[in-house]
Amino acid sequence: MTRAGIKMHFARWREWELNPIVVKELRQAVRSWAVTGMLLLLLIVLLVVSLAVLVNQSFEVRINENLGGQLFEALLTILAGAGILFIPLYLGIRVAAERQDNQPDLLYISTLSPARIVFGKFLCGAYMALLFFSACLPFMALTNLLRGVDLPTVFFLLAMLYVVVCTVNLAAIFIACLPVSRLFKILLSLAGFIFLFYLLAWVVASAFTLMGSGVGAMLFQRGFWINCVICLALVLTAGGLFFVLAVALISPPSANRALGPRIYVTVFWLLGGVVTGAGALNMSRPDLIFAWVAPADVLLVAALLVCISNHDHLSLRVRRKIPRNGLKRLLAFGFYNGAAGGLLWVAGLTALIILETGAVFKVDESGVLSYISSSPSSTGRYPRSMGGMPLGDFDNYVSWYVPMMLYLFAYALFALFLQRRFLSRRAPKLAGVLAAFITALTALGTNIVLFFLNELTWQSADHLQLGNAFNLMGVSSAGQQRQHILFALFLLLIALALNIPWFFTQWRNFRPPAELPPAGEQP
Amino acid sequence: MKVQVQNLRKEFGRTVAVDTISFGFDSGHIFGFVGPNGAGKTTTMRIIATLEEPTAGDVLLNGVSVCEEPELARRSVGYVPDTLPAHADITVHEYLDFFARAYGLRGGKRAQAVAAIEEFTNVTGIREKHLKALSKGMKQRVSLGRALVHDPAVLVLDEPAAGLDPRARVELRELLLLLAEQKKAILISSHILTELTEICNGVVIIERGKILETGTIEEVLKKSRPRHTVAVRLLDGRNAELLKTLLETPFVERAREVFNEVQFELAGDEALAGDILVRLVAQNFKIVEYRQTKANLEDIFMTVTKGGVQ
Repeated sequence: MTRAGIKMHFARWREWELNPIVVKELRQAVRSWAVTGMLLLLLIVLLVVSLAVLVNQSFEVRINENLGGQLFEALLTILAGAGILFIPLYLGIRVAAERQDNQPDLLYISTLSPARIVFGKFLCGAYMALLFFSACLPFMALTNLLRGVDLPTVFFLLAMLYVVVCTVNLAAIFIACLPVSRLFKILLSLAGFIFLFYLLAWVVASAFTLMGSGVGAMLFQRGFWINCVICLALVLTAGGLFFVLAVALISPPSANRALGPRIYVTVFWLLGGVVTGAGALNMSRPDLIFAWVAPADVLLVAALLVCISNHDHLSLRVRRKIPRNGLKRLLAFGFYNGAAGGLLWVAGLTALIILETGAVFKVDESGVLSYISSSPSSTGRYPRSMGGMPLGDFDNYVSWYVPMMLYLFAYALFALFLQRRFLSRRAPKLAGVLAAFITALTALGTNIVLFFLNELTWQSADHLQLGNAFNLMGVSSAGQQRQHILFALFLLLIALALNIPWFFTQWRNFRPPAELPPAGEQP
Repeated sequence: MKVQVQNLRKEFGRTVAVDTISFGFDSGHIFGFVGPNGAGKTTTMRIIATLEEPTAGDVLLNGVSVCEEPELARRSVGYVPDTLPAHADITVHEYLDFFARAYGLRGGKRAQAVAAIEEFTNVTGIREKHLKALSKGMKQRVSLGRALVHDPAVLVLDEPAAGLDPRARVELRELLLLLAEQKKAILISSHILTELTEICNGVVIIERGKILETGTIEEVLKKSRPRHTVAVRLLDGRNAELLKTLLETPFVERAREVFNEVQFELAGDEALAGDILVRLVAQNFKIVEYRQTKANLEDIFMTVTKGGVQ
């Protein structure tokens, strides 16, 4: 939107209207038996639990100084259960029903933008959560009168829970938008549901811990607020990621669907790297860098599978936006649709992670490379401690993470080659499936063969299994780790050699069209 | 508004649902889309409505590609699917109001548009009813109302008359003619071919994803039925004798008895039909009716299609 457009938008604030999705969803929710039934059930359970606790206390001779706290714990657990399990399930089912492959809802072909649709769904979930929280709030405020919990704790924990519920809602919307079969969605939802139980347990346990300390007593402590901001930033970042991914999933295939998620991941990856890197150096705690490295690695492995599942063909509207300038074009190559650009983007971020981690641990560039020929733990090349902390973490990181990523890249490239060369008539997402299959086959296949060769024993599980990426967790000797790195590098070089012609073809094709017929005009 | 379907192809795995088809139609035209079940009609319509992506080819709406610029194309397309809205917990008015909001209509303009559509599709009396409680005919009206709420230039209707009672069909036909008068380009698929003949300007006959015939109704009739069919009814029921005579007459083919009359195909023009009539009268056949039967879309459909599905 231009500056004039923004100005006009705010000047006409009287004409602002609610997101149509919110209006529709809330109208349906208030009439839905699922929502009203769940709300009534929640109120009944809250009432029964409150009464039961109060009646039970009336039989006690001694005054319970923590009665309010105990009741609050019970009520918070019930609310967390309803908020974390029911609302995302309701939202997810509704979106999934609308996104059925054979019969998507017609609202998806209206002029509503994908971002507005996802935001509308999210807002509906947020309003529903607000409704549930509002129904619960009087019961919780009452617990303050019974002693054992202060009001800041009540409100703080409710706010914390609310943020978690909103993030889980976004995750549910994202899963519902995935372009997979109904069966796979159900399986994914079941796995998600199991995860939600763990999340529920974690949220309740964290809330109980905070209650034990009393939020009121920590309100003026700097450390408390720093932790709060970090947690909030992490949760909001995860929520934002689900949002951009859901928007990309429901965008038309001809749109530049990769741009939003890749920019988002890059920005937060960069931000995380800068913050943790600065923190690690300032506080002389190099291990802090792993708070960034670990989630970034998981994300990049997932991104690798998604990127190789991308189409090679770029729509005309995407090609129209390719910059003509060489450097800008190279930058755009990594951020626009297409498997080749995606691979380059993931490879770039992975390399930068290794470099930054190396820099934080004060390892020079040649140190990382020379690691291949000499084990740091055996030669003692690297300083053995930094800021009083042993550098075993970094040794593990290099000997485990580097070959793991080399293997994964090699298998992804092999899968890409197989799909593009022999199965090009099938959908490109087959490449992602193939990559997962090859990784699993090299892990399970070798173990199964060795199981039979070793007289039906698993004794080889801890031995060297070159090609098995997961074997890196089992081997501990520096020599074996080195062999893994060399073998993974060898595989990667072969995979690269196989894919280089394809890659350069993609790069050559990544250019704006010769003539640019403006959109909407008769060609 | 000019709608151009260009070399459209859609594959589902190994099945080719739509096999490189091309046709076009303009504002003010009602274009019939005819074919047996599984011919690829719904897939083509869903591509025009931007619900599906073609494997190859494109559809241009005044030059706007539905593949490249679906967001832009959606502004000018109203789609009535073959399955009707089954939303729970929403009334007719709320449903139409939602789509009016979704297409960017605001405030008073939206209220006016929804009221006008409710009146046009005659659903004002049921506006507070829940969608689930509606009969099929009423749902069809609501669906049409939803497709019209943003005043699109192109209407794509997939089997809108299926399951409707005769009165509802007549009303739907009148609505479509009114919409064509309002200069909307309409593509309609239906299995009730007699109705299509009455309202359509053009037609596409499709089978196994391929176009068998396309053009204006007259062109298609002419192309597919170069021979005249003549029906003769006698006063005294000497049909067997008449059949024998006709079979011996040059240029007469496929003479057969249909109910109480004799029909035959004539490989010639109307003058020849007159000559044959003179000969029959001369042979003392008491003819009370001698007419040339008009071929309709149903006859052509039966002639050109083989009933194959994919």
